[in-house]
Amino acid sequence: MSGALSGKKKVRKNKIYSIERKQARWGFAFTVPCLVFFAIFSFYPIIYAFITSFTNRQAIGRNYEFTGLENYVYIFTKNNGGFPLSNSIRATLVFTIGTFVPMIVVSLILATFMMQLRRDRYRGFFQLMYYMPAVLSSVVAAAIWMIIFDPRGLMNQVSNFVMHTSGVDYNWLVDPIMIQVSTIIIYFWKYIGYFVILFITGLASIPPTIYEAATVDGSSRWHTFWRITLPLLKPTTAMVSIMAMLQCLKTFSTQFMLYQGGSPRAPIDVITMNIYFTGIRNGRLGRASAMSIVLFVIMLVFTYLQLVANRSSEDVEY
Amino acid sequence: MNKFVGKISFVEILVWIFLILVFFFTITPIAFMAVSSFMDARQILDMPFRWIPSREYFSSADRTFFTNFQKAILGNNENATFFRNMFNSFFVAIVDSITTVLLASLCGYGLAKFRFKGRNFVFMSIMATMMIPFEAIMIPLYMVVSGMKLMNTYRGLIFPFMVSAFGVFQMRQYLLTFPTEYLDAARVDGLSEPRIYSSIVLPNCKPVIATLGILSFRNQWDNLLWPLLVAQREYMKTLPQYITQFSEEKMTDEGAMMACAFLASIPMIILFFSLSKYFLGGAAVYESRKG
Repeated sequence: MSGALSGKKKVRKNKIYSIERKQARWGFAFTVPCLVFFAIFSFYPIIYAFITSFTNRQAIGRNYEFTGLENYVYIFTKNNGGFPLSNSIRATLVFTIGTFVPMIVVSLILATFMMQLRRDRYRGFFQLMYYMPAVLSSVVAAAIWMIIFDPRGLMNQVSNFVMHTSGVDYNWLVDPIMIQVSTIIIYFWKYIGYFVILFITGLASIPPTIYEAATVDGSSRWHTFWRITLPLLKPTTAMVSIMAMLQCLKTFSTQFMLYQGGSPRAPIDVITMNIYFTGIRNGRLGRASAMSIVLFVIMLVFTYLQLVANRSSEDVEY
Repeated sequence: MNKFVGKISFVEILVWIFLILVFFFTITPIAFMAVSSFMDARQILDMPFRWIPSREYFSSADRTFFTNFQKAILGNNENATFFRNMFNSFFVAIVDSITTVLLASLCGYGLAKFRFKGRNFVFMSIMATMMIPFEAIMIPLYMVVSGMKLMNTYRGLIFPFMVSAFGVFQMRQYLLTFPTEYLDAARVDGLSEPRIYSSIVLPNCKPVIATLGILSFRNQWDNLLWPLLVAQREYMKTLPQYITQFSEEKMTDEGAMMACAFLASIPMIILFFSLSKYFLGGAAVYESRKG
């Protein structure tokens, strides 16, 4: 009797097992399209880039041979027709740091200010208006600002008014320093709303009871901000600033558009632009791939930092 | 933060002043674009700038209200590729956002609701692709696409952005909270797995679909780098390329340049105001692999 029972059990178990297996097969089948896609358009290219970076491959001509580390030596020591990688790294870092520090500070201030508004409707309005530039494409943004930065344009008029000078041309698009400032202003303008919203999301997740407790204890608003809001917002700030950095490291359209508009290339020759010109315009695929790998490594470091920041953000409990 | 109660305080006034100043900073360039798309170069670069064009200006013989827009559409050599390029932008962005939503939801569903061997490995390897920036693989991708003979084709423009790892991640996170009982009930009722996906899972993740679809549409609409590599024929170019080219040759005709930029922005502005909820929601989540 007990044998028959265990036999029955076994049959049932087998049946469940086969249903589960059938389901598991479906589950795997659902992921296959994505996997194939990622294999072709992500994993294969990065391996391909790595291999190509050790060859002297060019766009024209099929033959190429392995040259070892020659490309890496070249991009780090030679001046690559007037536009060395070292200059690109400098331009990228100046742009990244110059953009993300003011962006984080200002968007944090804006977000805290917006949380102070009496009605959610007001906050919604400002969110919408601050976010609007992000909707325009980078090319459009660059086109608008190119005219604003024109010697006779709005920006000179405004800065002359602010600086109490008259008829001074600040050379927004020509001067090596000013052109970098200009790209930073454009980028700042375009993405400020985006980061304000990120901070508002962070601020909104802080429970109001903490503030009520602080108010009951007689904490001033200033004190509350420094002692409660800021520490609780630390993980959000860390995450957002690394995100902003990653975003800035990848910038291309703004600089490219300004260059096409007649600005000097060297001061704004960010890494992506150098890759484009070396690989596509000059056809030096091997060198461009080596630069891509350098960019990849830089971004990998920042992504790692982002992961660490994300982990620490999970540690905060309210 | 403790909200203000009672009377309007000094701090509150400062807050408002600051917020309004930034409001002017973000809106002025957009308003400038809209206004100056109706002006000619002389008026745009007038010192001081006048926001409202004078009446006699419009009544002059060689200018109508839409002169700039006409120039923008006719383009550099008067063969009007504008509409074709706009169509290309729309087509690529729409196809990419549809495939992103479909493939990512399918994959996210598979990862969230099924147990199979190697599931974690699949998930981790998809997450790993988020660390590969597009800019680092564009050169090999260009070689792959040109090797597949896809230069100057829609497939070449569309394929590399058909799905995003971030989308898969979003979908998975969302579907993890989806009650499994529904799925089991459907299975008991005899629905096949693909049917369960299409008639139960997909209709139930509308909010993520909207956010993800908009995000991917916007990224493709904004994409300049990839079309620059793949589309070299006039009729295959996209709108960002058109604007770049147009402004290169029309450097001195600022009015036409602004009209061109304005025309290109109208679809996104309409989309933004009609679906702002999803735009602002989508901004809160971060797209790490932006095209």
